[in-house]
Amino acid sequence: MTIRIDSGGASVVYLEESHKIPLVSIVIALRTGNAHDPVGKDGLSRITARMLRRGAEGLDARTIEDAIDRLGGEMAVDTGASSVAIHAQVIRRSADAFMELLGRLLGTPTFPEDELERLKRETLAEIDETKDHDRSLAQQAFRRAMFGGHAYGRDGAGTVTTVRSITVGDAKAHFAKHFTKGNVVVGFAGDVTPEDAARFARMLTARLPEGAAVADDVGPPVTKGGRRLILVDKPERTQTQILIGMLGTWPHDPDHVALSVATSIFGGTFTSRLMREVRSKRGWSYGASARASIDRQRQSFSMWTFPAAEDAAPCIALELELLEAWVKDGITQEELDFIKGYLTRSHAFEIDTAPKRLHQSVDVELLRLPADYYTGYLDHVKAVSVDSANKAVRDRLRTIDLLVVVVGTADDILEPVTAAIPGLTSHAIVPFDAEILEAGPDPEG
Amino acid sequence: MPEQDLKHAPSEMVARVNAAAAAGTAKVTYEGEHAFASETVRRYTLENGLKVLLLVDASAPVVSYFTWYGVGSRHERPGKTGLAHLFEHLMFNETENLKAGEFDRKLEENGAESNAATWVDWTYYYEALPADRLSLAIELESDRMSRLVLREPQVKSEKEVVANERRYRVDDDVEGAASELLYKLAFTKHPYQWPTNGWMADIEGFTPEDCELFYRTYYAPNNALVVIVGDIDEEKALGLLQTGYGAHKSAVIPPEDAQPEPPQTEERVLEVRKPTATDKFFVAYHGPALGDADHAVLTIMNEVLCGGRASRLHRALVIDAEIASEMRGWVGTFRDPGLYEVSASARAGHTAAELQDVIDAELAKLRNEVVTSDEIERAKARLELSVLQSLESTSGKAEQIGFYETVLGDPSAAFRRLEAYRRVTPSDVRRAARRYLAPNSRSIVRVFPDGEAPDEGDDENETDETDHEAAE
Repeated sequence: MTIRIDSGGASVVYLEESHKIPLVSIVIALRTGNAHDPVGKDGLSRITARMLRRGAEGLDARTIEDAIDRLGGEMAVDTGASSVAIHAQVIRRSADAFMELLGRLLGTPTFPEDELERLKRETLAEIDETKDHDRSLAQQAFRRAMFGGHAYGRDGAGTVTTVRSITVGDAKAHFAKHFTKGNVVVGFAGDVTPEDAARFARMLTARLPEGAAVADDVGPPVTKGGRRLILVDKPERTQTQILIGMLGTWPHDPDHVALSVATSIFGGTFTSRLMREVRSKRGWSYGASARASIDRQRQSFSMWTFPAAEDAAPCIALELELLEAWVKDGITQEELDFIKGYLTRSHAFEIDTAPKRLHQSVDVELLRLPADYYTGYLDHVKAVSVDSANKAVRDRLRTIDLLVVVVGTADDILEPVTAAIPGLTSHAIVPFDAEILEAGPDPEG
Repeated sequence: MPEQDLKHAPSEMVARVNAAAAAGTAKVTYEGEHAFASETVRRYTLENGLKVLLLVDASAPVVSYFTWYGVGSRHERPGKTGLAHLFEHLMFNETENLKAGEFDRKLEENGAESNAATWVDWTYYYEALPADRLSLAIELESDRMSRLVLREPQVKSEKEVVANERRYRVDDDVEGAASELLYKLAFTKHPYQWPTNGWMADIEGFTPEDCELFYRTYYAPNNALVVIVGDIDEEKALGLLQTGYGAHKSAVIPPEDAQPEPPQTEERVLEVRKPTATDKFFVAYHGPALGDADHAVLTIMNEVLCGGRASRLHRALVIDAEIASEMRGWVGTFRDPGLYEVSASARAGHTAAELQDVIDAELAKLRNEVVTSDEIERAKARLELSVLQSLESTSGKAEQIGFYETVLGDPSAAFRRLEAYRRVTPSDVRRAARRYLAPNSRSIVRVFPDGEAPDEGDDENETDETDHEAAE
């Protein structure tokens, strides 16, 4: 069971104790993420966090990397819209030395100019690399088109222009504002006692500046109306990547769990409606799924498939039919009984390791989820009825305001794909190597 | 021995299980135990040849159930490549007792998840279940081991799915496509030359008869290993296994016909164009089999060269020269000698030739100089961390046990390898580099963005990616 402990500092600290393996997992998370990057500085949160391992008082980047490896540790930065998390793990025997190192990285970063310029060049090369990954292209274009100018439409890595514009001054200012005791949440899982955790937390945060949690000014997103198609044009695609979606759910909606449960029936398991129709019956796509993402504000509902180019249009048509039928006719009692059995019994795998249990508590804190979001999960699922699930689907999912994103070769698929979307109000073709994967101001009608 | 311990002594449990078994059911035999870090793996066999490895772990109310079959793409033949992988998909279909789709449905309604993987030497299937649902996994796995129904509609539909998986992983994926070409180039005789996914033309040509023959040949208790890790009652599990598999008949597994790969004496190079933003470079040297003592040495060498941000190649390519966006290295973990692979992706404005120059220089250093003790110690610590990470969940442990038992015949080999890593010295690394990293025995694939010509003056073959001809 995860406990919240008092480390004697201002940061919130969680511990999930388990002594089965001599391993310690560490999370150091900010209550702010890429949604809080200054305008025109997309990617600043990620770059600031990544700079921490590139210079601290008395330590240059090479010394730091050598030390992490020598101690049997590793660390990585994970950037989301609402938080930035440094995830680390270390062999237990090195935990004290590792915490001392992390404490120095967090407490005395130096942001060397040459390292920042190097990191920016690395980031630009990584942005180039994403052009090779069609699924990433689809996700990026989907985010852009779904959320438009809202903070959730941004790319955590930034764009070529915004990354180039980031300076040492930007990184230092961002660090000073966000890496404060009140804006940091710390968690430990594994071979750690409460006494260890309190001591480690002090080692990590002692040198952070005082300061309260940063205010979150990100409001609810709105999306454009109508049925829109964005075709990310890439040559020689034998296969397409398709995302279809709309605005979805918010964890504080009274019908949030009902919508999540209904989504599981629609596309959350191997025997879901979507998987059965797209993969099992027709063999069109290796995977077919639907999900209702969560964040502090309303996120998206989306369906994902990746059929061969010649199957893209019929696959989209089928997905839309299935979606319409689900919204109109709802789910059955038999489907609900089935999914409740699955969700309640498989819950054991959500909490079968100490790091998983820790991350649930940290998520509640960072995403400002209802306090019993995970602890009351089983009761919430059991309380869903056919009527509440169907009402949630009808109320939340507006199929007339629908976004379809396809990565494929436009010459081969544009015509059949546009014909496969009834009531299509606009479509736009975006080159896969465009700096920003979004439609221009006047998409073709 | 205290009374309670005696009750749980394996020989006592086996005696009770066999006494309670129906007449004609294969008997269970206790074969011994293996230390697995601070835990214990117990080994049993059924009379029909089924091997069983059990590890009781009550840290969470879950159980992981793996079934490993000793068949992979190495057991296929030209013209029928990809059959082991297609078959893995078909195993989720109809049986004499279950209609199509019921296998997954039964698992899901019990909160379980399943998946499978096929590779060159093996195929595995796994279920992750709430601990009180172990009997379901045994019921379903024992059923599909002998009563699978292979009909035209299922084979046709699954061929489509597999073709789409191939498009996803290979045809529209630059790295997947290059890796496939690299193996085709490096192996001329051994079955490791063809991809586990299979060539597209072969996938399209499979018939239900091909699948039936494959099934009857390789899916039998004496070609299988069951690994169970979780919060189980060991005696009850043995009883359930005996009930589930005890009536299965063993099969005559044909002797392997894999041709050993002859020594490669000349460098082989292939150049292809793909719709990618930048050049890519892939090189492979013939390496040791997983069971070879040199495998641990090469694994340490790979950590020094490619393991993380402090590694030599990361520093040389990504940090110092800034000509690559990423690089990686891997020592193949195959039963027969596999490949040692290194690859890198160029940044815009840089070329595959530049990547190769830096990689060649670093490999030459490994052959000519000894690595530092500090580099070796860092490599060992990284590998130790990686082993510990694999033990965090029941499924991680079950996979480690099954993999090493299937490939090496030792379920605890992960720890044996850790001990081997600890013994590696700088001079071991130089010796292994000299032995394996010979430029005349390597294969190279260079990938260029569409429309960009390979460097003028290159006299190696150029080919479209669909042409699998190697150029020597």
